[in-house]
Amino acid sequence: MAGASLLSLRGLGKDYGGRVAVGAVDLEVPAGTIFGLLGPNGAGKTTTISMIAGVITPSRGAATVAGHPVVAGAAGFAARRAIGLVPQDLALYEELTADQNLAFFARLYGLDRATAAARADWALGVVGLRERRGDAVAPYSGGMKRRLNLACGLLHRPALLVLDEPTVGVDPQSRRHIFDTIRALRDDGMTVLYTSHYMEEVAELCDRVAIMDGGEVIAAGTVAELVDRHGGPPLVELELAGDAAALVAARALAARHGALAGDDPTGAVLRLPRPPQLGPLLADVETAGATVVNLSVVRLDLERVFLSLTGHSLRD
Amino acid sequence: MLAATIQKDLQLLARDRGALISLFLLPVVFIAVFGAFFSDDGGGRRRVLVVWAADAPRPAAVVAALEASQLFELRPATSADEVRAAVAAERAHAGLILAADFDPAAGRPAELAIDEALAPPVRLPILGALTALVHRAVFPPPAGADRPVLVPRTPPGVQRVLRDVDAFQLSVPGNAVLFGFFLALTVGLAFAEERRWGTWRRLLAAPVGRWRLLVAKLVPYVLVGFVQFGFLFGLGIAVFGMRIGGSVVALVVLAAAVVLCAVALGLVFAATGGSEKRMGSIGSVSLLIMGRIGGAMVPRAIMPPALKAAGLLVPHGWALDGYFTLLVRDGAGLADIGPQLGAVLAFAAAFLALGVWRFRFER
Ligand SMILES: Nc1ncnc2c1ncn2[C@@H]1O[C@H](COP(=O)(O)OP(=O)(O)OP(=O)(O)O)[C@@H](O)[C@H]1O
Ligand SMILES: [Mg+2]
Repeated sequence: MAGASLLSLRGLGKDYGGRVAVGAVDLEVPAGTIFGLLGPNGAGKTTTISMIAGVITPSRGAATVAGHPVVAGAAGFAARRAIGLVPQDLALYEELTADQNLAFFARLYGLDRATAAARADWALGVVGLRERRGDAVAPYSGGMKRRLNLACGLLHRPALLVLDEPTVGVDPQSRRHIFDTIRALRDDGMTVLYTSHYMEEVAELCDRVAIMDGGEVIAAGTVAELVDRHGGPPLVELELAGDAAALVAARALAARHGALAGDDPTGAVLRLPRPPQLGPLLADVETAGATVVNLSVVRLDLERVFLSLTGHSLRD
Repeated sequence: MLAATIQKDLQLLARDRGALISLFLLPVVFIAVFGAFFSDDGGGRRRVLVVWAADAPRPAAVVAALEASQLFELRPATSADEVRAAVAAERAHAGLILAADFDPAAGRPAELAIDEALAPPVRLPILGALTALVHRAVFPPPAGADRPVLVPRTPPGVQRVLRDVDAFQLSVPGNAVLFGFFLALTVGLAFAEERRWGTWRRLLAAPVGRWRLLVAKLVPYVLVGFVQFGFLFGLGIAVFGMRIGGSVVALVVLAAAVVLCAVALGLVFAATGGSEKRMGSIGSVSLLIMGRIGGAMVPRAIMPPALKAAGLLVPHGWALDGYFTLLVRDGAGLADIGPQLGAVLAFAAAFLALGVWRFRFER
């Protein structure tokens, strides 16, 4: 277990006109970690972090950041200063230059002009945007805008960086850059709250994960803990070769051994809970006219954790 | 924080061509066009070109008589063709061509170059006055016949609303008020854009009180309003020769009230306007209607009483009455526009209250 909590939520929730968007979330985010908030569209991730950042007023519950209460008015300023928000939708003045954007947001946090300029320079270096700093933002690529969006949240060197789906719509190279930046910031001592609906991202990047669905956190822990607790039995994966008819026949026979309906469009990959004996399964596959070209035991993933917890897939 | 917000909003405005056009360029165009239109109708002296043979006594006597009358703006020309061309091109209302052998008694009248299809209200006074003047110069009246035959007298009770008012004293404040209130639309759209861009969330997340945030978002536009007022009235004075009869200080105070009122109305737009598209259409139409009934387009002085009264339902009418007093009445000061200033400020307070009441930080 990592150190003390930097962020802690106690029964935090939000209703919109009688509809519950977020029920009552309890969460502890240890200092110095990258904490993933994983959930499908509409799970309540953005609503939750908006409450943490002071953008929306919670209907119930409480939150503290670095020991400071998240409340309205001047009493909440310390908590706000401790948070750097990087909203899901880009939040930039596209008609202005990167420098002008950064200067404004820095001064919004009370930095004087000189400090603001120095921090802007630093933040641009962190996200690798120094060359285009004098250009208006509008014609930037999607990935560059995402990086600038991130830089705007870093300027006041927050204790907690809150990233809401920062990789939506960026190419793999920009995503890699963003990931490297986040890790470097964590290594510098920043705590990061990272929301995503990509379980691969969360599994790769995050030290700890909370899974959200329907406005509630339904599980939390390290990826390994979650898989151990909720992942179910390990799976065997068979990769087959053969013509289409053979594959269909093999799949039908394999179903008798408990094979899962796969999401593999070619039909050439079978997944099933590891049977006590592999021999009969392999024999059936060969009888159907297909050949087994690869056999492996699959690492359980968060996708299956989510499936077993909610009964539905992350991606629907 | 405030300085940063002002700087940022002005930077954004500087890149918003539509807003700049509607706040600064359009009013100048309207002022020039309407000013020129009213000037032309204002009944200044008609311009008459004259060419005459200087060495002949009769033409010289006629010109001297015309000059002495001061009824026309006389312009000497060098040839008869120049006179005819000037009239044809409408550079002069009429032209008088006095040849060396000009002698009406001998059947050699002067030529009056004039568009005979010109509207009678313009053509006949020129014709009548010139005929009388030339006639007197050529045929001096016998003793006793030069007595006046009529004496003009104004009956008491005549309303001389627009006498001594120059056209720009109407078109400058009219358009300054009309387009000054368009600032409200700029303010409303600025809020809507901030939400659409997502930057509003960053503002809300910052360690700044929400009401301070709101005020900081309004202040830049108060400054823009002052710049617009200074620009339009300055241009009115410097370029269009607009006269300010009353107190300049009172004028600035009234303008400040108008700017506050427009910005407060902008907050109402921001709070109730909905989408940018809706705000853009409903907002601009309602501003035009308010301007129209408030007398920003047709001077209130010449409006029928019912319309004139209706104009006081909107801040425009009060503002224009105040400006009119300060521009036209010599020595008019704050005391003379008390009700107008008070009314504009009351509208500002009402708009502010409505805006604050309806404004939602979170949506
Ligand atoms: N302003 C609002 N008014 C009404 N309902 C809202 C509002 N904001 C969010 N909701 C509802 O709250 C629920 C949670 O939304 P939220 O945006 O927090 O989900 P999310 O996990 O961030 O999803 P996504 O991955 O799509 O960003 C949704 O059902 C959404 O429709
Ligand atoms: Mg979201």
